Amino acid sequence: MIAVHNLVKQYGKFTAVDGVSLDVPPGEIHGFLGPNGAGKTTTLRMIAGLLKPTSGRVEVNGHDVAKEPELAKASLGFIPDRPFIYDKLTAGEFLRFHAGLYGLDGKGVMDRVHEMLDLFELRRWENELVESFSHGMKQRLVMCAAFLHRPRAVAVDEPMVGLDPRGARLIKDVFRRMSERGVAILMSTHTLEVAQEMCQRLSIILKGKIVAQGTVDEVKKLAGGSDDHLTSVFLRLTGGSALQEIDEAV
Amino acid sequence: MKGAFTYLLLPHLWSSRNRAQRREKGDGVRALLFGGVGVGVFIALFYGAAWLTWQLQDYDELGDYLLRLGLSWIFMTFLAFLTFSGIVTALSTFFLSDDLRLLLTAPVASRRLFYARFTRTVSQSSWMVVVFVTPILLGVGVADCAPTRFYVTSILTIVPFAIIPVAVGTACTLLLVNVFPARRARDLLMLMGFLFSGAIVILLRMIRPEQLVRAESLPDVTGFFSTLQSPVTPLLPSFWAGELLFASLKGGWDLLHAGALWTTALACCVGLRAADERWHFSGYSRSQEAPKARFAHLRALDVMARFLPLSPVRRQLLVKDVKIFLRDVSQWSQLLLLLALMLIYLYNFRVLDLGRIPYMSGFVKNVYAFVNLAMAGFVLSTVAVRFVFPMVSAEGPAFWLVRKSPISMHDFLWSKFWTGLFPILLLTETLTIAANELLDVDPFLKIVAAVAVVFLSLALVGLAAGLGARYPRFTADNPSQVAGSYGGVAFMILAVLFLIVMIVLLAWPSTTYLFYQLRHRPIGTGRLVMMGLSFGAAVAVSLVTWLHSMRSGVRALDAMSN
Repeated sequence: MIAVHNLVKQYGKFTAVDGVSLDVPPGEIHGFLGPNGAGKTTTLRMIAGLLKPTSGRVEVNGHDVAKEPELAKASLGFIPDRPFIYDKLTAGEFLRFHAGLYGLDGKGVMDRVHEMLDLFELRRWENELVESFSHGMKQRLVMCAAFLHRPRAVAVDEPMVGLDPRGARLIKDVFRRMSERGVAILMSTHTLEVAQEMCQRLSIILKGKIVAQGTVDEVKKLAGGSDDHLTSVFLRLTGGSALQEIDEAV
Repeated sequence: MKGAFTYLLLPHLWSSRNRAQRREKGDGVRALLFGGVGVGVFIALFYGAAWLTWQLQDYDELGDYLLRLGLSWIFMTFLAFLTFSGIVTALSTFFLSDDLRLLLTAPVASRRLFYARFTRTVSQSSWMVVVFVTPILLGVGVADCAPTRFYVTSILTIVPFAIIPVAVGTACTLLLVNVFPARRARDLLMLMGFLFSGAIVILLRMIRPEQLVRAESLPDVTGFFSTLQSPVTPLLPSFWAGELLFASLKGGWDLLHAGALWTTALACCVGLRAADERWHFSGYSRSQEAPKARFAHLRALDVMARFLPLSPVRRQLLVKDVKIFLRDVSQWSQLLLLLALMLIYLYNFRVLDLGRIPYMSGFVKNVYAFVNLAMAGFVLSTVAVRFVFPMVSAEGPAFWLVRKSPISMHDFLWSKFWTGLFPILLLTETLTIAANELLDVDPFLKIVAAVAVVFLSLALVGLAAGLGARYPRFTADNPSQVAGSYGGVAFMILAVLFLIVMIVLLAWPSTTYLFYQLRHRPIGTGRLVMMGLSFGAAVAVSLVTWLHSMRSGVRALDAMSN
């Protein structure tokens, strides 16, 4: 599970994340929505232990990220928006190294690496340098690495960006299977159709604050519109519905 | 193995291995160039050190004393370099390195990460020192017929000697990243540039080299040696290293200084690790913040650019280049360092009392005028390779913007040329005129040098811009990487060859003129024609180098677009 309590992040006088609280129980896929610059990535980076919160607390699988960082990180799979991969390593070398970081050892490691490469259809690229990979392939490799150690919780930032329809479908299936097995998934996305299709609950963040939280139906009700489509609900909640100027500009 | 900190170094080793296995075009030439330069420097340092040691052996105890002092001096120089290098490297390895985004999300103990990062910092900061000090110590050892223990002690000395200043540098970085506003993380480089420049100035002033040539200004021999010894303090690791090596060179042991070096190095590691555990994450977290735009409102620049007789395209390219340059602190902080070195260079001319050399002062001064011209040319080449050569590469992934715009590659490259030319010409001309004024050289030579600098600047800036366009590296992380590439090295070699040709072509007619003037004899017509031809050849070589390089650069960019 992932539990975020009253999380705040300030950069000087600017408050990027302002008292965010979230709870993603085991087996839930939780959508984290918001316009650009709302504070989604900052929140996810604090959950992953990459940023120090100004105040507030993050727990992953019952471990406080600030107090027990190693235990918390060991049970989390984090997929950032701009992942880092060593360009001069092959896909296989990168995954082997990643496995070592999570303490995976022994003969089983290579089997697990091959299992993940097969799952994400990268097995034939195992011995190729990452620098020759397309964006979508790199994205799938990062997912291989994130799921290699069988995390109990996953925080993922924009998982569908750069993936072809087949890749996107694959990711959706993987997330569903993981959630069925009790993995808590917190997913930031701009693709509202994906959120509507996959997430049991949603949190919408605007200017660092959660403005709506609940199941998809609850969020729709909260927005008070009659439209069934999540896009209209999102635009109403985030103040982005006044797009009439587009016609004039174009 | 997976629990050891060395595991975290594996990606770099694997990457190096993979890079070595997959050869790219030009690797052989690059290896030959760099290898050749490296071997040349190694041999020069080895023989230089050996020759000096042989000379000192003639003076028995005095020679030993000077050798002992010399060793401390060498390590003293490296101490300053290592500290500064440690600060800059630690900023990258501990705070700005991209792979931290991966490592910090993994369940890696902070202690383990610290040791891995510190090992990288020490090796990255000190490899150059090791490369320089190895032939020097080998040369000293061979000349002095040193026992094997000298070579073993050398290794055991260099390791803790490198750790101490790099640890101090890393501690400074840790402190500064936590104290300074986080948006200024990269600005630290600028501050470090200032500090390092200051350190160099202080170090050079502590040497007071001018006193060494004024024997009468020193009360006695003791005064001479105390001048030499003034910056060598027994409290610095450089002194311990020098003493330790000297003892082993003479077949003895110096356990006191060996102990001082190793215990200090270990204490530095332990103290730094504790500080890192306490403050690294907060510092890293701060360094994640987006840097605030410096010189955000450069309205004066926009206004000034409007009055320049340039096409809108060239004007916008110029304004963009100047703004980017001013906002990138790492770029202009290096200029500050260069400025400090230039001031020292000029100061040396001021304190150089050539009038004291009887009968020869006029001759020596005029020879110095050409040495000064060569030096100015070398400074010009160095600035050009660092600032002009990477100009095309600096467009980086944004080069598509230029290529898709209705701008000819001719306009693009020439705009880069003019942007680079004026500041470099101003810098080199100031350096040359000021140095010649301080030396009080013949007025004729002053004019020759001032005019020559204009042609040198045109040719070398043109060569840098042209080669930069022929060998761009759009994927490089920073301009220094571009300057160190194959094209950058090729530029430096060609620039040095060009300077040699120019000095020869200018020196012969100039010295002939001075020779006849000194003897109050008229110059024959034939000789005058030859002198004119020599000056003309210098002008022609400059113009051909300039225009041919630019044309070749434009052609290369056009070929890229097609």
